[in-house]
Amino acid sequence: MSERGLTDAALPGSPGRVDLAHLWKQRWFRWPVFALGGMIVLQLVEWIADPESEELLSGGQAGAMLRWSVPLLLAGLGGMFAERAGIVNIGLEGMMVLGTWFGAWGSVKYGPVIGTAIGLLGGALGGLLHAIATVSFGVNHIISAVAINIMAPGVTRFLADEIFSGYAGGSISQSPRVASFGSVELPVLDRVSWLTIIAFAFVPLAWYVLWRTRFGLRLRAAGEHPSAGDSLGVNVYRYQYAGVVISGALAGLAGSFIVTELTGIYREGQTNGRGFIGLATMIFGNWRPGGTALGALLFGYADGLQLRDRDGVHALLLVGVVVLAVLALRRALSPKRTVVEVGLPAVIATLIVVWYLLRDTVPPTFNQVTPHILTLVVLVFSAGRLRPPKGAGQIWRKGEH
Amino acid sequence: MTAAVELQGITKRFPGVVANDGVTFSVESGEIHALCGENGAGKSTLMKILYGMQPPDEGTMSVDGRPVHLRSPKDAIALGIGMVHQHFMLADNFTVLENIILGSEPSKGAGVLDLTAARARVEELSRAYGLDIHPDQVVEDLEVGERQRVEIIKVLFRGARILILDEPTAVLVPDEVDELFRNLRELKANGVTVIFIDHKLDEVLEISDRITVLRAGRTVGTRDAGSVTAAELAEMMVGSELPSPATGETTVTDSVAFAVRGLTIAGDGGRAIVDSIDMTVRRGEVVGVAGVEGNGQAELIEALLGLRHAQGTIELDGTDISHWSVRRRRNAGLGYIPEDRHRRGLMLDAPLWENAMLGHQARSPNARGIWIDRAGARGRTEEIVERYDVRTPNIDVTARALSGGNQQKLIIGREMLAEPKVLIAAHPTRGIDVGAQASVWNLLRQARRDGLAVVLVSADLDELIGLSDTLVVMLRGRLVATLDPARVTPRELGSWMTGAALDTGDAA
Repeated sequence: MSERGLTDAALPGSPGRVDLAHLWKQRWFRWPVFALGGMIVLQLVEWIADPESEELLSGGQAGAMLRWSVPLLLAGLGGMFAERAGIVNIGLEGMMVLGTWFGAWGSVKYGPVIGTAIGLLGGALGGLLHAIATVSFGVNHIISAVAINIMAPGVTRFLADEIFSGYAGGSISQSPRVASFGSVELPVLDRVSWLTIIAFAFVPLAWYVLWRTRFGLRLRAAGEHPSAGDSLGVNVYRYQYAGVVISGALAGLAGSFIVTELTGIYREGQTNGRGFIGLATMIFGNWRPGGTALGALLFGYADGLQLRDRDGVHALLLVGVVVLAVLALRRALSPKRTVVEVGLPAVIATLIVVWYLLRDTVPPTFNQVTPHILTLVVLVFSAGRLRPPKGAGQIWRKGEH
Repeated sequence: MTAAVELQGITKRFPGVVANDGVTFSVESGEIHALCGENGAGKSTLMKILYGMQPPDEGTMSVDGRPVHLRSPKDAIALGIGMVHQHFMLADNFTVLENIILGSEPSKGAGVLDLTAARARVEELSRAYGLDIHPDQVVEDLEVGERQRVEIIKVLFRGARILILDEPTAVLVPDEVDELFRNLRELKANGVTVIFIDHKLDEVLEISDRITVLRAGRTVGTRDAGSVTAAELAEMMVGSELPSPATGETTVTDSVAFAVRGLTIAGDGGRAIVDSIDMTVRRGEVVGVAGVEGNGQAELIEALLGLRHAQGTIELDGTDISHWSVRRRRNAGLGYIPEDRHRRGLMLDAPLWENAMLGHQARSPNARGIWIDRAGARGRTEEIVERYDVRTPNIDVTARALSGGNQQKLIIGREMLAEPKVLIAAHPTRGIDVGAQASVWNLLRQARRDGLAVVLVSADLDELIGLSDTLVVMLRGRLVATLDPARVTPRELGSWMTGAALDTGDAA
């Protein structure tokens, strides 16, 4: 079919027309507009929902958002490195669990800095295991990752019983308290951990490595079209190993972060599905570092709000209504609309409004699942525009075409 | 002149077949040399040997006069031999530049890409050889011809002086073929040696200096392009005269088997992809649908089969089937030869006998109740293989192991043995060789004699004119003309297809 040729032929290099529609196509223009729009919506909602909450848009909330988004960001970047190399890594959760335990153990023994590095290595170990299974032995990526997710909590429970039980305050399910990495005072955001700053520095770094180095180009080739790389002498297996091990290391770092910066203690089950949400931020971010960071901030916002302010979550419902209404409207204006695509967000939005008006607070259980629901809603409605690496999830064997 | 490449007595055996049997082949430096032969004649094997992908069992090879032993494509690349595969090896989501430099990236040190230097080099190659590409475009947005140019530059970027192109025109539309040939002449003018594998004889004669024909793994001979005709080459290839698609006597009856009324498919932005199409096909009639690709033919076929939602009515033997599922339509007698065998027609990695059930898997003899009837299905497959001359060692090999022509015969056999009333054939001879083409034409003629109503969509104008009883032309989703194939020339048909005939008011 050559219809693509007909439609796209006019696109490249249309000279000099700098109008709004053209600007809108540029990412650097679009994202700030989205961000500004988002802030206006939040401000309006806060205003309408007043006096319930003043927490939707505040310095404290911004700091919390930043803090809570770090594990998601690191997990998301980790997922990105693996999938860019063609290996799906839903084992991030398990690797993050390894990171929490090793991070806590290292911090107890050697202090938070070396401890964090040990947590990173613990996650990398999980990544290595996943790489051996999927790359060398051709095990289905999902099966290997699920095995890691099941195994990791077992391993950490065993290790905790063996080691932490001997410490004062430690037990089979938790460690003694650990020290924080250290922080710095910043305007608006209050105290920000050095580790948070390092984590966000990974965003441009990941971009640079993947798009501006030989290593990154070959790694991405392994995930897009491994046979093409193979036919040009690229050792696809080596780059897939590298991608998955980096992925595990980032997940491990995320685990360490939870221990040293968020809770100050290792506690069983404290990752609470963040590895999976990290994967969702990667998808939301369209397998790109910048988008992943944005996704992490969005989900981190919900995560942080949930813990800080229950009224805030109630007010946040209105934000959900606005988002859904916009989506429904966009679908309604598109020529390829279907009843479900327009109707579903509209119906959900209406239900939320009814609920909002009838009840003054959100039940606490709902509070906890907010980030997950937000994740689902966002992913469902952004799925159409995504472009995953083509080879992700496929088991590639050398010599195949 | 010294030979750029010389192969002497090359023999390559695979279990059960001799792919190359003492092949001798010599290419002079700076010429365009075509390698012709039917599918299965051994062309691809020979090129894989030349590119170091497979070692020969016997025979010697020399490049620029020196004997060489290639162990891998890396050795071939080091000798300046590059290959453009038939199926492109390009990552869709990469830019042109990224695809070209992958594996041989210029670096500023410490593994940091030197994109400026890479872009300059690619632009230089692009200018020097007249290969028009834009380094920063994403490959996904490129047309097939452009992708091929990227592949060629990719090979030149690695310093190739001998270029092997494996059936480069199979994926191109006529305009793109012209462009490719211009590029090849430019390469030749710059001293590049081109080895060109193809089985379309008119193209081969147009572009090459010399032509070597292979048949059944042996060299039949080498001829100068100036002193040989297409008919002679065809005889060398198949060992007999060139077949023609002509059908002979009419078998058209009066009873309408298939009727389409007001069929419309809405597209993006309000313009219909298929716009109120009316069509009737009678028993024993072949209705040929002509048109430049992308004018709605593919969508029309999908709508007829129920793969795509459409407005309007479709009647099979007077029954309205427009709201029926694909399965129900097929059970009611709709046969389908898909445009893309690999995507729609076959499961490439499944054995033949499973492939032979596809689309009929819930029916006798393939099934009994909810169970697959293994014996019945295998028996049916044996029948297809025998009656439709599918050349295969047995029915347990995967579909991938068959040549394109044999895959197509398997599909046709599968559809015909289900005794359809209407057969929808999309590009039935695309990408298959002369011999298989003749048998596919025979099968379609047989179907017509048996009283089937056939809808034939094709890009091959000779095929359309030769096989059809009625020709309709599709342009921008509409049927713009109904022509008599007995009187229309390919040239006239072409002007209808592009809309030129409409503009000049040359209506029939």
